[in-house]
Amino acid sequence: MNRSSTIGAQAIFMSPAVLLAATIMLPPLFFILYTSVHGTSLSLHEYREIASSSLFRRTLGTTLVIAVASSVLSVFLAFIVAVHLARQTARRRTILLVLVLLPLWTSILVKCFAFTIILGRDGILNGILSWLFNTKIQLPLVLNRIGLFVGLTNSLVPIAVFPILASVLAIDDSVYRAASIMGAKPARILRTITIPLSLPGILAGLFTTFVYSLGAYIVPSLLGGPRDQMLSNLVDFYNRQVLDWPRAAAISVVLLAMISVFGTPLAFWRQRKGIGGARV
Amino acid sequence: MGDAKVLADHSAHAITLRGTSKTYGPVTALHPIDLTVDKGEFLTLLGPSGSGKTTLLNLIAGAIGPTTGTILLDERDITRMPPRERGIGMVFQNYALMPHMTVFENVAYPLRVRREHPKAIRAKVMESLDRVGLRGLEDRKPRQLSGGQQQRVGIARCIVYSPAIIMMDEPLGALDKNLREQMQGEIKRLHKELGTTIIYVTHDQEEALNMSDRICLLSGGQIVQLGSPDELYFQPRSRFVAEFIGESNLISGRVIGNDRMKIAEDRFILVPKAERIEKSEHLVMVRPEKVRISKLDENTAEGDNVLSGEVVSSSFIGGMTRVTINTENGLSITAKMVSARAHSRPEPASKVRLCWSPSDSVVLEN
Amino acid sequence: MSKIRDSHSQRYRVFGTALAVIIYIGLLAPLVVTVPMAFGPANTLAFPPQDYSLDLFKIFFFTSGWRGPLFESIKIALAAMAIAMLTGVPAGYWIARHNFVGKRLVTGVIMSPFVVPTVVAALGLYLCFSYAGLSGTMISLVLGHVTVALPFVVLMIIAGVVKLDPNLEFGAELMGAGPIRMFVTVVLPQLIPSLVSSALFAFLISFDEVVISSFLAGPNTITLPVKMFGALQWEVSPVIAAVSSFLMAVSLLVCIVAIALRRGAPLEGER
Repeated sequence: MNRSSTIGAQAIFMSPAVLLAATIMLPPLFFILYTSVHGTSLSLHEYREIASSSLFRRTLGTTLVIAVASSVLSVFLAFIVAVHLARQTARRRTILLVLVLLPLWTSILVKCFAFTIILGRDGILNGILSWLFNTKIQLPLVLNRIGLFVGLTNSLVPIAVFPILASVLAIDDSVYRAASIMGAKPARILRTITIPLSLPGILAGLFTTFVYSLGAYIVPSLLGGPRDQMLSNLVDFYNRQVLDWPRAAAISVVLLAMISVFGTPLAFWRQRKGIGGARV
Repeated sequence: MGDAKVLADHSAHAITLRGTSKTYGPVTALHPIDLTVDKGEFLTLLGPSGSGKTTLLNLIAGAIGPTTGTILLDERDITRMPPRERGIGMVFQNYALMPHMTVFENVAYPLRVRREHPKAIRAKVMESLDRVGLRGLEDRKPRQLSGGQQQRVGIARCIVYSPAIIMMDEPLGALDKNLREQMQGEIKRLHKELGTTIIYVTHDQEEALNMSDRICLLSGGQIVQLGSPDELYFQPRSRFVAEFIGESNLISGRVIGNDRMKIAEDRFILVPKAERIEKSEHLVMVRPEKVRISKLDENTAEGDNVLSGEVVSSSFIGGMTRVTINTENGLSITAKMVSARAHSRPEPASKVRLCWSPSDSVVLEN
Repeated sequence: MSKIRDSHSQRYRVFGTALAVIIYIGLLAPLVVTVPMAFGPANTLAFPPQDYSLDLFKIFFFTSGWRGPLFESIKIALAAMAIAMLTGVPAGYWIARHNFVGKRLVTGVIMSPFVVPTVVAALGLYLCFSYAGLSGTMISLVLGHVTVALPFVVLMIIAGVVKLDPNLEFGAELMGAGPIRMFVTVVLPQLIPSLVSSALFAFLISFDEVVISSFLAGPNTITLPVKMFGALQWEVSPVIAAVSSFLMAVSLLVCIVAIALRRGAPLEGER
């Protein structure tokens, strides 16, 4: 367009955000990288240390297992919700959406508090079980891996619903009608139409929940046991308890690297899809 | 009205394009073109979608900058000038009215931008609403108006600040047929009253023929023919023009002498006299309404081209009836005639004779 | 003939709905549980409570230990919301409408908090602000919250702008309006639903933010979530039920307003 006038306007519109990005969004990442290599000495000492640390390895294992399991389960559950929502009329969908939006936007602390009440030794669930079987039941459901898994999945489902819902809704209704006229039963329609066509949303949901669960911090620290801590908690541990910032920073870098490794191919795939498809 | 014509006669150009082109990476939206629009002229940019007419419009309006060439507005170079300084008005296909403003505020917007006095604004807005017949609706919101009324607001908003040029981008494209014809008349009337230069974009050839002083027919990012509606209809230069504007019969033949063409073994037709390269291949165009159908035993006028053939189909389309005839020498010719009752229309499979006057045919340049 | 197929689809549908209902219950149960407890007695935490009172809310709103953090959180959230809106709205508009050199980079950096784990961002901010000598200050908390609120604002504004007709903006420019005037008179009025929801969400994000706050907070800048996080880690006191219900009520309010605006917009455009 007209270069000179546009550039002036662009400075006015973009510079505040660019300034923020340059002062409080980029520097923290730089500081982490910088601290992890002991500043200008560029030492890889911390990385060697964490590579040989059994605490780190165990935590890494826990993180991956929990992240994969909870993101896969939450996407599965979110898919059921999304298909159900997509089948409703626009009006009912709006009302039902509150049931997903409210958990999404409610503080994770509230949910963790509730789960300690529901899953505790004398909690609601054990209470119901005791009543059902008429004996005192005190299953350990919280401050262990079960509590962590339940709490994390619960907080991930609403996150995954929205991308999946968007792509389920994007499927043209006439495709369904055509399939059922040709004699396809609901299960086949689900398998041959709904799932393949909503794959972009499913993958987006998977990526988002996976990234989110890799960095989970509050849920493991409130619902997990001492042996169920994840990488974020390890970062916090080195930062707050040990006051070993280079170590904390190095673990952060590993966490960031993991997210790039898992995220890049997916982002790339989605972008190629995007160019080929919807946007002309 | 009279003043405007006088002004136009003194003929400073309203818009001059010199070698203006636009490419997007490897795609050429508009090849370098030269075009001048006279003051007070109604010029229509006509063409199929993707022909470059919207690109041309956007270049003049300043929505995009040209890849090469210059654009002069009233002898001023505006090639790199931001749209707001050009003083051009535009009427959009989808009206582009501000949904949050009333009709009055919409029309007043360009004046408020120019910081005119509130009194002057009120007077001008009322005057231009009067002109488009919307007085009394000034407090409505656009969504409370019909499509035709919304477009009138769009036009009022444009004429209110007397821009040097008004661009109209398929302004009637979203309206139904009857309303479209009525609005065409109104736009023509406004053009006469105001004497403004109007550059009008459409893909509807009838609209272009009806409204324009000149038509600029575009195809593939190039100007194919520029001229009055008459010229484009009666003197098309190429097959594209002949086929795009109106209906046409095209007969290919080889030049013999300066007024005859050979269209088959032993079959010649007469064409208007002109210097042509002997034996070169050309297309001859005859408009269907110029082709007359007669019974085999009727006499034909002296000097007319006459072919005989068999009626293939006859379709009644209201005022006119379209008849398709396969001639003895394998041509398919369409004739259009004023409709008669069914029993006296040519029936399929009947043998008929076709004739047209050589002066009604055009030898296309290529 | 069609009856056979119908009953099959019907059963299938009922099964899907039943599953969905179970999931909805699973999502909502943790929220619902806290409400009756918030109205329980001040000394014990039990579900369902033996008797009902407003004691917990009294403790929450009238003891300085909880009231201080509540006001701290409100102040910080208002400031973070203001900064995120003032910077994010123009940027979102420009990103949605223009191509410019470095657009991908700038957008990528602004959106990075969506993928960078919060703990990593929190540690980075902590290191940064310590270096700048801003540890434990309110400014550091506000700026920290802006990093997470800004991408939401920008994203919601982009989504809002994309739905607007660009011809309106071009038309206004053609009629002589400069970019800022055009933005204020043409774009912003049409964006009001997006503006309100993004402001509310920016507030809510900051108001509920725990991780960054717990890394950055000093003794004088303890926010409500930080206080609550600490309380949950060490001794689960009954007041938390009241705090939870309060936080949930705030979220519910924001969600309802956002949905009402989203519903309002298309209804208006239908005519």
